Amino acid sequence: MIKSFSYLFKEGLKNIWSNRTMSLASVCVLISCLLLTGAAVLFSVNINTAMKSIEGENSIKVYMKENLPVLESIKAGEEIKKLDNIASCEFVPKDEAIEQTMGMLGQEADKSLLAGMTGNDNPLPDAFKISVKDLSKYSQTAEQIKKIDGVSSINNYSDIAAKLTKLDKTVSTAGFWVVLLLAAVSLFIISNTVRVTMFSRRLEINIMKSVGATNWFVRVPFIVEGVVIGILSGLISSGILALMYGRMTKALTSITLFSTVDIGPLIGRITLIFVLAGMVFGALGGMISIGRYLKREGGDIVDW
Amino acid sequence: MSPPADINVRLSHKAGRHERKRNGCTKILCGVIVLIQFKNVSKVYSNGTAALKHINLNIGDGEFVFIVGSSGAGKSTFLKLITCEERPNEGEIIVGKQKLSDIRRSEVPYLRRTMGMVFQDFRLIHKMTVYENIAFAMHVVGASNKEIRKRVPYILGLVNLQDKAGCHPRELSGGEQQRVGLARALANKPKLIIADEPTGNVDPAMSFEIVDLFSEINKRGTTVLMVTHEHSLIKHFKKRVVEIQKGSVVSDKCTWEAGND
Repeated sequence: MIKSFSYLFKEGLKNIWSNRTMSLASVCVLISCLLLTGAAVLFSVNINTAMKSIEGENSIKVYMKENLPVLESIKAGEEIKKLDNIASCEFVPKDEAIEQTMGMLGQEADKSLLAGMTGNDNPLPDAFKISVKDLSKYSQTAEQIKKIDGVSSINNYSDIAAKLTKLDKTVSTAGFWVVLLLAAVSLFIISNTVRVTMFSRRLEINIMKSVGATNWFVRVPFIVEGVVIGILSGLISSGILALMYGRMTKALTSITLFSTVDIGPLIGRITLIFVLAGMVFGALGGMISIGRYLKREGGDIVDW
Repeated sequence: MSPPADINVRLSHKAGRHERKRNGCTKILCGVIVLIQFKNVSKVYSNGTAALKHINLNIGDGEFVFIVGSSGAGKSTFLKLITCEERPNEGEIIVGKQKLSDIRRSEVPYLRRTMGMVFQDFRLIHKMTVYENIAFAMHVVGASNKEIRKRVPYILGLVNLQDKAGCHPRELSGGEQQRVGLARALANKPKLIIADEPTGNVDPAMSFEIVDLFSEINKRGTTVLMVTHEHSLIKHFKKRVVEIQKGSVVSDKCTWEAGND
């Protein structure tokens, strides 16, 4: 049995090599399918992490009107503190805010961009960092704060969270359909690749059957072919995904304040899932194409 | 003549369930053990063509039978029914102790391992050498490399091709290619050789040599069923001749009797 399997495994590998153009096409389609799936998943993971960090930060930023004298701002702060639902209220002067922003950009960012924005040229307003006692009364408290003189705006995290959720849902739904379509296409391409192999090997199949090969014996090399194509695609696509994601996040953090999820701890799992998915697809593709021809007998195999 | 134990043992390996049911199916006909039995067998294809009509025929173990008849007479269907490529619409076929009507799809490969097939177009794999073509047939049934190394040179000796083991089929003449086909059919020690016009693509002089080989193998105890059109062969090799015309057996004689007609 083991001897037979090693023989059949070698046959499967030979098939891939002798049909290298079609094998390459299968690998490419499967890679694009896996890459798109991976990209959609990573996008979703990032959105979820961003949302969690927003939700976890139970503070509200209250921005004062531009060029409002500091004293006026402090007066407004006193009024905010008087409200019921306020746990803490911390004044963030605009000078401090611009320094914080520069700190967030990190060392790699071009600090010269913000260099001319200090002192009177500072475009940021004064602000208060407030934390609320009860988050469910958030909108009520926000309304009360808005009515206070000198308050320009409140950053509405619940709104951002809702927008992010909507975006995540849209991406997930669109991603799901695109992946489903690509999955169907890759299954079609793989089964066609295997069918091409089968066509060129129909004489062998005929002889196999005439000397008494079981259907499994005929099937195994084609399944091996599909599975190897799947494993290859899985490995290549997880490599490409890690590389592209790394580059993209580096570019993103250098131009925006958007913080991204590190792919490092995820890559092992992604590779495993990709390889498994590739194997399943490959095996399915192989099975689909061989299934029909196994029912043929004798000369029908050679003459079809 | 060797008893049919071999075929029965190998079939019962996979079909023990049927074994008990079929005890007693093997009949003794004039002192010869029947290997193939057709009982009132008819075959109509889905397009309405009646290929065989009520065939009753017994072929004894160790016999050499020529099947003759014009094109479309039903000869190929007759062979296909024995190899389970086709199933009859009516009647019963028994090969060894196996009732083919009861055989499951999954058991068909095990039945075929008791048969060796030789085709008119040789059906050799051109990218493989002569040796590999024969070894391939043994790999398929799970033979070990050791068995293959031992058996392939032996069979090549039987068909006088020991010097051509490393050649590719295209480098051989038609007659030599057919001898490779026969060697492959013999690889798995079949009890029955089924040859569908094996001399159809071979020049006449070579034809005699090929049938001589079949005859030699038959003398060693293997049953041979050969479809042919060549009357010179039939006249030369004095064997049993079954003639099928329009789906019916119209004559079943030995050559010397046929020659007297």
